[in-house]
Amino acid sequence: MSTMSPEKKRPAKKDNDGDMEGGDEKRGGRGFARRKVCRFCADKNAKVDYKDQSTLKYFVTERGKIIPRRISGNCALHQRAVAKAVKQSRGLALIPYLVLAS
Amino acid sequence: MAEAVKSAAKLREYETVFLVKPDLTDENVDKVKDKLRGIVNRDGGKFLRFTIWGKKKTMYPVAKQPRAIYIHAHYLGNSAMVAEVERNMRNFDEVTRFMSKRLADDVNPESHQPQEDLKLAGEDDNKPFGGAEREGFGGFDNDMDDEGGYSA
Repeated sequence: MSTMSPEKKRPAKKDNDGDMEGGDEKRGGRGFARRKVCRFCADKNAKVDYKDQSTLKYFVTERGKIIPRRISGNCALHQRAVAKAVKQSRGLALIPYLVLAS
Repeated sequence: MAEAVKSAAKLREYETVFLVKPDLTDENVDKVKDKLRGIVNRDGGKFLRFTIWGKKKTMYPVAKQPRAIYIHAHYLGNSAMVAEVERNMRNFDEVTRFMSKRLADDVNPESHQPQEDLKLAGEDDNKPFGGAEREGFGGFDNDMDDEGGYSA
């Protein structure tokens, strides 16, 4: 019994690691993912601003959805800030709530 | 009483962005500006600056209009003043939308002096949302599963 449990555990654990985002490592056999850096951390002068339409556009899809962190590469702190800014910006009609397919 | 003196000396910094109807003349915009400036200065606040962003295309119709004039107000005050400013904006027919935000607490009014109003040229382009500048996300299309069927 004692020999079984570690053996059983190991593959499960490996699976977990494989599912997690490997950062700059290979991901899910779909080639190499480029290492993403939070652009607000990289550039100290860059601030998340709900009035800055052109920057926020970068974190929103063409449809108007907020781009997830795993794709935009934002850190958790700045992703929260961006999400908030996008929502505020939507209220002022600077960014759309949704864009219908034409 | 000492507290009252203290709170009078220290103010909070706020900004309010509001939209007015696109067919307003500069004169009428000035009228709205003067009213708001009066409210802030009357209640012991300090009005810093209006920035008129100009007439811009809104991303969705606001008050049944495809465009609006954006105005940004920057002032020092307290929470009651923001409530008063917003209450007045609700009453103005010209103002269609507004949003206030606190920028800083405990601002020394002496360190902020009123500045001359700015007027920016509104961009009146009909560019659709999105556009060419969205490059740089590697594997963006592959990962956004929920965007599937967009091309259909």
